[in-house]
Amino acid sequence: MKQESEWEPKLLGLLCRWCSYAGADLAGTSRKKYPANIKILKVPCSGRVDPLFILKALRLGFDGVLVSGCHPGDCHYQTGNYRARRRVAITKKLLEYMGIDPRRIQASWVSAAEGGKFAEVVAEVTKELKEIGPNQLFTPEGKGYGAKATGRG
Amino acid sequence: MEQKLRDGAKALLEQGKVDYIIGFEPGSLKFTTTPLITRDKDDIDRLVINPFIVNNLSAYLTELEGRVGIVAKGCDSRSIVSLIQDKQIAREDIVIIGIPCPGLIDLSKIEQLAGKDRDEVDDITREGDRVVIVVDGKKQEFPITEVLFDNCLGCDMPTPSEYDILLSESSPLVTDKTSSRKKIEGLKGTSQEERWSFWEKEFSRCIRCYACRNVCPACFCKRCFVEESEPQWISPVPQWQDNLMFQVIRNIHVAGRCTDCGECERACPVNIQLRSLAKEMYDIVDDLFQFKAGMDKEAAPLLTAYAVEEAEDFIR
Ligand code: SF4
Ligand code: SF4
Repeated sequence: MKQESEWEPKLLGLLCRWCSYAGADLAGTSRKKYPANIKILKVPCSGRVDPLFILKALRLGFDGVLVSGCHPGDCHYQTGNYRARRRVAITKKLLEYMGIDPRRIQASWVSAAEGGKFAEVVAEVTKELKEIGPNQLFTPEGKGYGAKATGRG
Repeated sequence: MEQKLRDGAKALLEQGKVDYIIGFEPGSLKFTTTPLITRDKDDIDRLVINPFIVNNLSAYLTELEGRVGIVAKGCDSRSIVSLIQDKQIAREDIVIIGIPCPGLIDLSKIEQLAGKDRDEVDDITREGDRVVIVVDGKKQEFPITEVLFDNCLGCDMPTPSEYDILLSESSPLVTDKTSSRKKIEGLKGTSQEERWSFWEKEFSRCIRCYACRNVCPACFCKRCFVEESEPQWISPVPQWQDNLMFQVIRNIHVAGRCTDCGECERACPVNIQLRSLAKEMYDIVDDLFQFKAGMDKEAAPLLTAYAVEEAEDFIR
């Protein structure tokens, strides 16, 4: 058993390849420090993010999900980020109603030039996730079943 | 209304204006109806209209080829409009026979009031804004709002606004929006943990029969994400975690299409409180985007549309 103090949140970043992924890249090349808690998945556009991805991540045991895309008006495909915004908005509301802390679902606009902002966002989100604590939604304590047993694919 | 419906439906078939008529006929059990889908005008006299025409028949529209005349209550007509918005059907292929809906009777509420199983109830009749229940020859009377379905009590459009034939002028529906959301508000009054365990308990009963999805007119995908195997999004094993995830995603996918017709909850064989999810999503969408499903056939579907300035406060 891991000690509680050793626990580090796992954050999934769904980053659009044109802005936020490039922003994350810039954070790296400009040697900005940010928590290693984020695992990044590159998506073609924030508009590619089906709320299914968010649920799947929580189901697999991620403590939080960050959807990040281009600022309004800057989407490579014009409207993808506006669509993502609607989807994340309704997902957050429904999950909150069902009993999931809405801070587990996060969103940001990070452009390719905002390496600094990317680092800040990851730090802030990680801090919030530490406050909420581990995601045990789908794996009730002590039962030891759930994500691991059925999360193939 | 019934005679007008039968005359209208017969004429449509005789004049070759439609290939099929979809409506309701008496069911095999008391106080039930069952869908009637026919090309034969001799079947038309079986069509009925009563307080038990619960099915949202628009779910059949995406499965039938040709032109279809369909009996539609307010919520059903909105589902039809929503299917037109999503380009799943063409307006010119559908003849909508609209019923100004007075609200449908929930037999489980009747059972509670009468203290008897539905089989032991002799008669249920509606008289204006009262309902008369006869058990063992004894009459009991209640306000109609005590026996209507929760979704009917919250109805936003009892009289179809999109129709070709309208069977009467207006609907005598009495709504009660507070009662309509009572179960939802009850849940909202509990803690985060309590809400989650409530849903855990609900979805522990789910047997993943997919009846909720199959009756839903908004669930029109030819291939549902639950059946995808590369990647496999959710386990096909009916355990509560995956059952819950299935239903959450289903509700998100039908957001802006769901008309709160109530069919998912009625179809569920294990009585999961599905409407408490569907209706909440219905209201979320309305609060955030002032969008109600199936109100305007020219409007873009909720999840493909956007306004430049809207719901942003959660974005960093
Ligand atoms: S989700 Fe339920 S209430 Fe909504 S349209 Fe589908 S069957 Fe009707
Ligand atoms: S109808 Fe009920 S039991 Fe069947 S899949 Fe839907 S929620 Fe589960």
